[in-house]
Amino acid sequence: MALRRKFVPPVQAVKGGWRINLDVEERTLLIRLMGELEALLTSTDDNALLLRLFPVAYPEDDEKEAEYQRLMREELVASRLSAIESVRTTLDPERADLLSEGETIAFLQSTNAIRLVLGTMLGITDDESADDADTGDSPEHQLYDFLSWILEWTVRSLSPD
Amino acid sequence: MIDPDLDDLVMIDRPWIVLVWNDPVNLMSYVTYVFQKLFGYSKEKATELMLDVHEKGRAVVATCGREEAEMHVFRLHEHSLWATMEQDGPSS
Repeated sequence: MALRRKFVPPVQAVKGGWRINLDVEERTLLIRLMGELEALLTSTDDNALLLRLFPVAYPEDDEKEAEYQRLMREELVASRLSAIESVRTTLDPERADLLSEGETIAFLQSTNAIRLVLGTMLGITDDESADDADTGDSPEHQLYDFLSWILEWTVRSLSPD
Repeated sequence: MIDPDLDDLVMIDRPWIVLVWNDPVNLMSYVTYVFQKLFGYSKEKATELMLDVHEKGRAVVATCGREEAEMHVFRLHEHSLWATMEQDGPSS
């Protein structure tokens, strides 16, 4: 697996679209994580793990902030859920079609959201704890690294020169 | 220079600034990409802003009217960037 990764990026831009080069096991893992993110997003409980997914817009104005949350939070949840739904179809191992740019961006946003939740779980709150996370070797740290690797390549595949 | 006595009046017309704050999780390449995509910045400009965020703790990524600023903040939140907005002024 290591050798394959060295030569084939997990996500790449090709003629006519984008291709995800992940095996069935990796796809299954990501689909499961998408399901967990979906469950978090649709839960009615206020979960501290979601902190980073719903930032404050007006830190110095409670009234405007309440208004922003009232108008935008639902839309933000809907946008995240629709991206997750898109990723489910694009990660389906049976799918042969290339990804469109929109699907690749949905994949990027959702994978990044999962990584942010994981970063919150791992207690990454500043550059120092981020460096510690780079050297950790728990399953969560490994997952975090795996997601970083996928994200780096996805960004690269989408970035205009 | 703005006369302090005129502050209240001038406040109404002051533009809003959209700020992005440093966070230890979002990848630098990802932040650069989001700036390019959402604001149409060149890679150089987007990288410069990303480095400002990383090194100075925050950067102003847009200056505009309130409605437009709110839309920018929403789209930045959609991409999970830590964005806030405030009205620009001589004191900030």
